[in-house]
Amino acid sequence: MSFIQELFGKSPFGPLVEHTKKVTECVEVIRPLMEALVNEDYVEIRRLQDQVSKLEYEADLIKHEVREHLPRRYFLPVDRVELEKFIGCQDKIADKAEDFAVILTLRNTKLHPDIMDKFFDFVDQVFVTTKTLLTAAEELKNLAEVSFSGVEASNVLKLLDGLNEEEWKADRIARSLSKDIFALENQLDPITLLFYEKMLLVLSEIANEAENAGDMLRTMIVT
Amino acid sequence: MDFIILAITALLGLYMAWNIGANDVANSMAPAVGSNAITLKRAIILASICEFAGAVLVGGHVTDTVRKGIVDPNFLASIPGMQQGDAATLFVIGMASALLAAALWLNISTWTGMPVSTTHSIVGAVAGFGIAAAGLDAVNWHKMGQIVASWFISPVAGGILGFIFFKLIVVTILGREKPTRAAIKITPYIVFFLVMVVTLATVYKGLKQLIKGLDWLTDTHTLLFALALGLVSAVVSQILIRRYLQGMDTLPLSEQLEKVEEVFSPLVVISSCTVAFAHGSNDVANAIGPLAAVFDILQSGTVQMQVAVPTWILMLGGVGLVLGLITFGHRVLETVGKKITEITPSRGVAAGVAATLTVLVCTRMKLPVSTTHTLVGAVIGIGLARGIGGIDRGVAKKIFTSWIITVPAAGVVSIILFIGARAFLFDIIKPLIIANSG
Repeated sequence: MSFIQELFGKSPFGPLVEHTKKVTECVEVIRPLMEALVNEDYVEIRRLQDQVSKLEYEADLIKHEVREHLPRRYFLPVDRVELEKFIGCQDKIADKAEDFAVILTLRNTKLHPDIMDKFFDFVDQVFVTTKTLLTAAEELKNLAEVSFSGVEASNVLKLLDGLNEEEWKADRIARSLSKDIFALENQLDPITLLFYEKMLLVLSEIANEAENAGDMLRTMIVT
Repeated sequence: MDFIILAITALLGLYMAWNIGANDVANSMAPAVGSNAITLKRAIILASICEFAGAVLVGGHVTDTVRKGIVDPNFLASIPGMQQGDAATLFVIGMASALLAAALWLNISTWTGMPVSTTHSIVGAVAGFGIAAAGLDAVNWHKMGQIVASWFISPVAGGILGFIFFKLIVVTILGREKPTRAAIKITPYIVFFLVMVVTLATVYKGLKQLIKGLDWLTDTHTLLFALALGLVSAVVSQILIRRYLQGMDTLPLSEQLEKVEEVFSPLVVISSCTVAFAHGSNDVANAIGPLAAVFDILQSGTVQMQVAVPTWILMLGGVGLVLGLITFGHRVLETVGKKITEITPSRGVAAGVAATLTVLVCTRMKLPVSTTHTLVGAVIGIGLARGIGGIDRGVAKKIFTSWIITVPAAGVVSIILFIGARAFLFDIIKPLIIANSG
């Protein structure tokens, strides 16, 4: 038997990038969901919710695969705890994307025209934030190839530098959007308002988790 | 009649060499086959040539240690009460028992899937028979201490070298802004170094010992020859690599890294060959050291201290290694090729070069070390340089456990076989040996 071969075994970074790609697919469903909401196409919303649920399930399978292998490995090139936290954050992003879809299926809500533009700005900003993280995370396999050093490492760190600012922007839009939502309290029923707020909170959490994952990724590279 | 004893021991040596070939081959060629740098058939042919060359050209050094370094035949003869021929007879029986014991232990561990060092097996087995024959004092503990120390030092040295070589590859090539451009510049140096090492190891002393009448081949000439060959290979490789990588520095970084790994593929074949060569040079002794001792006794009644190991014995060992390779290598390497491997060619080269250097230096110092363990050390060194996605804890534990238990286990098997053989065969073999030496 080739024990050298077995000793290497399976590196976690290949599956980890697969996980990142699945999570990206989950996040990419958010904007179509919003568009379906504007069009009041509730059938489409249900279809998209099925889709994102399936994607989230697939992401979970990959996550388990990575986690199962981790405790049985010595000499990981990154801190095990940070790696687990990182994949945990990425996992939550997929979860929240699914939650968002589920919320939209709870009741046939209409999006008020006054907040429509800002809501779309917010969704786009959350997407930009998450996408920044996921683009950086997709480099994990290449990072492992160059042993987390050199030009590749500084490129990824540079990408991550932008992440904090993107998240801050998303936060700012969220606060302003929140005010706009409650400004509609005389025109809309309270349930709809709370519903908007619920959507907004879930999206904010996605941006937040993206930032947390980015912080983990950074310490993984630097240490 | 002494021919029968020699033939039986030669068969045991062949059996052991076959075991070693089957047991260890995959580790030397695994990086090459695993990274799809070479087809299965070619890997086996190349490995055969390199193992054989290593065994015949440089195999004599460690063989000396196994045949007379661990148990000193003169000590057996000096024990009070020993009659003429007793010591020689015990030595013949003991060496044959040790061979059989080591080979059996290897077989057992192959069945149970334990990664066992062939070197540790034979050293344990030889020491075992020495203790059974004449007590603890029969073993040359000074030499034994050196050998055991080398089992600690060789993986550590492999690890340090692996760390350094891998870091060098990362800093000079992989970590650059344009890895393909850096590869065109740097890879020829690696080729130069690899070719130098292989040429020096092959030609220096080894070739002259094998073929008489090469007096013009002085050390200076050898060095010049190695330099020239290294230079030519470096220039040729640069032309080829330039042709392959030219203009690729505009590709995205990840694609450039892939291309660079492709360039490393032929190098990992070369470095795997050097590992096979080093393995042949060190591990052939595990099979033929005892055989050489028996041959000496049958020739002259004692183990000659200053005589070179006969070439035919080295060749027999080489043939045994190749047989093991051909019969088992196919099956083993096939599974290696199918498994998803994380050994990228750049890691394979770093580990291979580190292991080759370490094992060859130990061979020169007449120290029997484990090629597999040195490779494991090199892999861990690369791991410490953050070069691999970790190593499997279960496999690491298995290697460590077998590292610990092989010497005593092989020793115990050897003791049992020796005591049995002494009881039944002593009176048959002794007259043969006395007749022969008288």
